[in-house]
Amino acid sequence: MADLSAPHRAARAGWNPRRTWAMVLTYATLCIAVCVILFPVFWMFSSSFKGQTELFARDMTLLPVQWTWENYKNVWFNTPFPRYFWNSFYIATITTIITVTFAIYAAYAIARIKFRGRFLIGMVLLVTQMFPHVTLVLPLFLLMRDLGLFDTHAALIIANVAFALPFAVWMLRGFFMSIPAELEDAAAVDGAGLLTTLHWVIVPLAGPGIAAVAMFTFIRSWNEFLFALVLLQSQSLRTLPLGLASFQEEYTYRWDLMMAGGAIIALPVLFFFLLMQRFIVQGLLGGALKG
Amino acid sequence: MLQRKRARLAYFLVLPAMVLVVLLNLVPLIQGVIVSMQNQNLIRPNPEAFVGFKHYIRALTLDDEFWQSFARSVWFTVASVTGAYVLSLGLALLLNLDIRARGLFRAVFLIPWVIPDVVTALLWKWFYSDQWGFANFALLKLGVIQIPIQWLSDPSIAMISVIVVQIWKLYPIMTVVLLAALQGVPKELIEAAKIDGANAVQRFVNVTFNFLRPTSMIIVLLGCIWTFQSFDIIYLLTGGGPADATQTLPTMVYVKAFWSSQLGYASAIGVLILLTLLFLGSVNLGLERMFNRRSDGNG
Repeated sequence: MADLSAPHRAARAGWNPRRTWAMVLTYATLCIAVCVILFPVFWMFSSSFKGQTELFARDMTLLPVQWTWENYKNVWFNTPFPRYFWNSFYIATITTIITVTFAIYAAYAIARIKFRGRFLIGMVLLVTQMFPHVTLVLPLFLLMRDLGLFDTHAALIIANVAFALPFAVWMLRGFFMSIPAELEDAAAVDGAGLLTTLHWVIVPLAGPGIAAVAMFTFIRSWNEFLFALVLLQSQSLRTLPLGLASFQEEYTYRWDLMMAGGAIIALPVLFFFLLMQRFIVQGLLGGALKG
Repeated sequence: MLQRKRARLAYFLVLPAMVLVVLLNLVPLIQGVIVSMQNQNLIRPNPEAFVGFKHYIRALTLDDEFWQSFARSVWFTVASVTGAYVLSLGLALLLNLDIRARGLFRAVFLIPWVIPDVVTALLWKWFYSDQWGFANFALLKLGVIQIPIQWLSDPSIAMISVIVVQIWKLYPIMTVVLLAALQGVPKELIEAAKIDGANAVQRFVNVTFNFLRPTSMIIVLLGCIWTFQSFDIIYLLTGGGPADATQTLPTMVYVKAFWSSQLGYASAIGVLILLTLLFLGSVNLGLERMFNRRSDGNG
């Protein structure tokens, strides 16, 4: 082993033109890939700062010649956008609080307590994540109509919680299982009950994991389109995705409004994602795929 | 005694979440099956009349539209998942090289995945726009084309344009998963293969890809499940048009249910989507078992 690694290390320390070129090539390929793949997103942001004439001009420039906030002002003050923003915000907040609360207790039980039916519950959680939403949305529409909840935010919140829960429980279970059991045993020796241990030992330790699950749930609800489309009708109740989609009919060819609106919806999500991406990726890998 | 008390507490903790999940997933599923055998139509009377397999027979034998949409769904799924897999494998292999800022690149490559579907659809629509889109502008400028391409309104091109967007949406998650799997490949094995005289291609096929196979099968299956049922992107980009050129089963469900008011028929198509996915899942399970048995035999 030592024989193998010694020359390897020497090659690494010394300057090796072939290696350097390989590295340059790798970085160049990666940077080109980033530019090509993210170009449409860049183009949205760039367009959102262009004035009407520039937006529909024959000649295009990568960045606005004349930067302007006009589109953002227009979409915020001359359309019902603030209303949609508020609707989306509070629906996503309530969805997240309910989902995470329920998920913490369920995930803890599944991760730490042996009980009959645990395997079955795990299967239900995995299988329900695979259900096609287009299949569920029709009966859900009928159900909400019969309950008198059609065209209410309650209907959307219930649907969002129900469809976020399986994944949230599964992802949290992964985070909880990575906490050493000795810590709990120590708490138990000190006479702490199961729930006390959960509240005062596990939850604080799993803080980043819980934050990642919360962020994930929030983003999902913030982005959700199909259920909002089917369960809501009134204009004043629309969420951001539904509102922006309806711009296509209500403000046809107003690409200035649509690009600024799209940027406003995407920005908070991007910001929180980049902030939390390490934990979100960890949760995705541990929760969804390793099982 | 203590054990039993703990178990009782476990049920108590799991109950609220499970009640919600079961009530809002399994119950609608069962109700969907029931509705698919009823006369449900938003504009016809007597919605609850039982009609048996009428809607299924109509879909499978009478309605050409169903099989056409089914074929489009299959093409859309196979092309998108293949494209996304190839792209993500390439990116994951690059990211797995000895580079700095791997985490940064990974985060940047994940961006399309977090962008909301509605925004994805709109920004691509703008990019694809016949007159003002960047795609046509750049191609005209470079002299590749003489007249603008109608990316989303030419029936022979629309599906490909939509597939590109779906690949864009799907590749990030595959990249992250493949990269994680690649990092689990033991370096010693690759070194050993190198010493045995295997070239880069041989090392990839015989060592690296062998380790990636189980992960690849899972993400390809998940990719197929997500893409086959995906609705938002197609609905928002083309609404299934032009002239049904991008009508897949999910958009057909929506159109039949809410534009033609045929809830019963739409539910039947919804159930057929679910059955297709179940079939896909079980085929995958079978394949996995086959591979496992073979590698057991070898080992």
